Amino acid sequence: MRNRIREQRIQRELSQADLAEGLAVSRQTVISLESGRYLPSLPLAFKIARFFDMTVDKMFDPEEEEAGA
Amino acid sequence: MMSFIPPRLRKPLYRTLAGLLIAGAWAIGSSGAGRWPLTVVIAVASLGQGVIRYAWAGEDTDEGALLGSRADERQQLVGQQALALAGKIALSAAYIGVLVTLAVKQSDVWPFLAMFAITGFGYLLGLSNYGSGEPAADDGMTARHHARSPVSW
Repeated sequence: MRNRIREQRIQRELSQADLAEGLAVSRQTVISLESGRYLPSLPLAFKIARFFDMTVDKMFDPEEEEAGA
Repeated sequence: MMSFIPPRLRKPLYRTLAGLLIAGAWAIGSSGAGRWPLTVVIAVASLGQGVIRYAWAGEDTDEGALLGSRADERQQLVGQQALALAGKIALSAAYIGVLVTLAVKQSDVWPFLAMFAITGFGYLLGLSNYGSGEPAADDGMTARHHARSPVSW
């Protein structure tokens, strides 16, 4: 599943540590989320989407990976 | 009680206390020249590993977060997966222990059997607690489906 976390973070000129602090998760988790190695829980997915003022389906796109695979 | 102990100190403290209990058990159960020297060695080693764990708990890593009781959801998942792997290894080790002791010295089999049984019981307890014990709930639709079957004979 692709996500737009990295793209949105860079757009807002935030470091991974800043985002980690904003989401109350560790920097390692932000790295895992951005690389797509970790799929967040539903509450965390909503938290991420709200943090970037987006909807969950705009932030996470399962079809993008399927198209790329 | 836990809230009085700083999160970073909790796990290192519990591991240290566990080690000190082993030292105490050794002191109670042993006799002769090796009693106190080994008790002191175990106690010092326990304190040492506690200090190392405390230092490790301060690091900005997944292991540090788990040790420092500040793990987020992914880190907790990592911890659970590691614990599950440890359980599988313990169960396998107990089974191998049962096999080997049955073949070599049958009178010593009971500690391995006990460990095998306890680990297996723990797994069943986990199933019961985290899912398989879930009662079948009425979804509010079953009765209606039964009343109006789309299949007619």
